[in-house]
Amino acid sequence: MSLLVVDNVTLRFGGVAALDGVATEIGRGEIRGIIGPNGSGKTTLLNAICGIHRPDAGEIRLDGEKLTGLKPSEIARRGLGRTFQTSQLFRGMTVLENMICGLHRRTTTGLLAAGLRLRSARAEEAETVERARAALDFVGMGAFADRPASALSFGQQRVVEIARTLIGEPKIVLLDEPAVGLSLNRVAEFDALLRRIRDEKGVTLVLVEHVIRLVMEISDRITVLNSGRKIAEGKPVEVRNNPEVIEAYLGKELRARRAAS
Amino acid sequence: MPVFSRRNVLLVLLAGALILPWMGNPYTLFVGTLLFIYVLLAVGLNLLVGYAGQLAFANAAMFGIGAYTTGLLQVRLELPFFAAFPCGAVVATLVGLVISLPALRLSGLYLALTTLAFAQATQWVFLHWENVTFGAGGFKTPLISFAPLPVETPTGLYFLSLLLAVLLTLFAWNVAASRIGRAFVAIRDGEVAAESLGIDLLRYKALAFAMSGFYAGVAGGLYSALLNFVAPEGFDLFQMVLHKAMIVVGGLGSVTGSLLGAGILVFLLEALRAFKGTQEIAFGALLLVFVIFLRGGLVSVLKRNARGWEEPLRLPERRARLLARPGTASVPGE
Ligand SMILES: Nc1ncnc2c1ncn2[C@@H]1O[C@H](COP(=O)(O)OP(=O)(O)OP(=O)(O)O)[C@@H](O)[C@H]1O
Ligand SMILES: [Mg+2]
Repeated sequence: MSLLVVDNVTLRFGGVAALDGVATEIGRGEIRGIIGPNGSGKTTLLNAICGIHRPDAGEIRLDGEKLTGLKPSEIARRGLGRTFQTSQLFRGMTVLENMICGLHRRTTTGLLAAGLRLRSARAEEAETVERARAALDFVGMGAFADRPASALSFGQQRVVEIARTLIGEPKIVLLDEPAVGLSLNRVAEFDALLRRIRDEKGVTLVLVEHVIRLVMEISDRITVLNSGRKIAEGKPVEVRNNPEVIEAYLGKELRARRAAS
Repeated sequence: MPVFSRRNVLLVLLAGALILPWMGNPYTLFVGTLLFIYVLLAVGLNLLVGYAGQLAFANAAMFGIGAYTTGLLQVRLELPFFAAFPCGAVVATLVGLVISLPALRLSGLYLALTTLAFAQATQWVFLHWENVTFGAGGFKTPLISFAPLPVETPTGLYFLSLLLAVLLTLFAWNVAASRIGRAFVAIRDGEVAAESLGIDLLRYKALAFAMSGFYAGVAGGLYSALLNFVAPEGFDLFQMVLHKAMIVVGGLGSVTGSLLGAGILVFLLEALRAFKGTQEIAFGALLLVFVIFLRGGLVSVLKRNARGWEEPLRLPERRARLLARPGTASVPGE
């Protein structure tokens, strides 16, 4: 059975269909790339999956359970992680505190236990801190644990954000342009990191990405969106040679060039 | 641990507070009690505004609801103070919960306006529901008695306020350094990201509002007993500005800052008491100066320049680790 099923999802903003009957199935342990020109609906698809937007039609299921209609926090608690196109670290916290937030759904300390600093609260806290440090080490950011999140470079913020999502042990993580703004050799590092995440943690990854080289290299399958519709899906080689995909990218580029001149 | 760490400084202040009733006069006792009441207000408001980032203006109203409930239950139903006082806190907590409902849908300016409207409506009820509230003139509350304890009322009230201020400040510190405090800050710094990590916005906003309602309700009950009198103007917009000024001057998102802010503003309040009308202007100006020039409040200066004033959003690690170890013999390699 597929892990994530997107079943004919349509989502309109005003009159415009940002997603138009999009359907796809993502298997357990897969790395799925999602590509498409600007404004083609990639972010909207992720937002529909993680509950930020509610589809006008269609349904989304994770592990057979319907997600459509649940709040984002409820969907997160069912094992769906998400990072965003712009960095969303909590700026008023240190890197380590950000990481511990990723364990929020794995911890249970209540108001009284926390306020009275009961033994159970202290034990849980100590355990979360240790796990957070280990998770930072996993992505090579251990040395930055006690820095303010706002002091990190752009690329470091992306990495910590991914680690913060992973620490909650989600089944699947949606990454929205994680490599944007990274230098080329950083992209290669990043490629390795994503593979390690899949191989060592067994996490399914959905990757929206503009750095085509990265997507082609790392994805098992790729879904191509254009104007809210799925125009192609398949192995990287198949997608690369698909005439409709070429037209969607090149056509747009040609039009842009014509408009510019 | 540095000599002038937060812990040491506050312990010295606490020691001073414990002997003050034998050193000072009735006036210092009054101001001391007032200070503890404002500490409660500032700490509670800071949890909501500074930590959870909810720009709410209902704190003075919840303060008033605590005072009115405590006072009216004594006067109208002849409950003893020690029964009426907890009721006041509970009612203010519930009101806080109710205000949190629109807060889930509103943010920023809209939340500010809605809570401001709520505060004005509360004023209106205090003023015009005369059959219950005695209207604009307010009402006297009975002098509370600490019998069988051998203390006079002002001293007893002083120590009761001190005890509650200390306990509830410690409680707030602990909550701030827990997953709950971090959930508050996460919501403040990014609602969407917080939700994506499984943090339930409704739950934690409601909790922040309820906690600030509780702290304000406790403060209100003590205030009614301190003044022996409850009237609408004690809980008006000026009172709201005062609370806001405390947390902004002391430091948003810092329990320590709430203490600093309460101390400084109560001092100013008393220093300017002779000059009616100057208080509003002074506090407004102070608020503005800090918002523009010192966003982090006074506590940020301390954190930058003195050691031992940090306020991490988690428990101090070494102690926490030691506690986790005993009994868990299964840790590999140890
Ligand atoms: N909240 C919104 N309200 C209205 N329209 C929106 C909203 N979000 C997205 N859109 C529109 O939906 C379409 C798809 O946008 P989306 O952000 O999903 O594109 P994208 O593929 O992620 O683009 P990019 O590569 O630039 O990130 C665009 O036309 C966009 O203007
Ligand atoms: Mg996008």
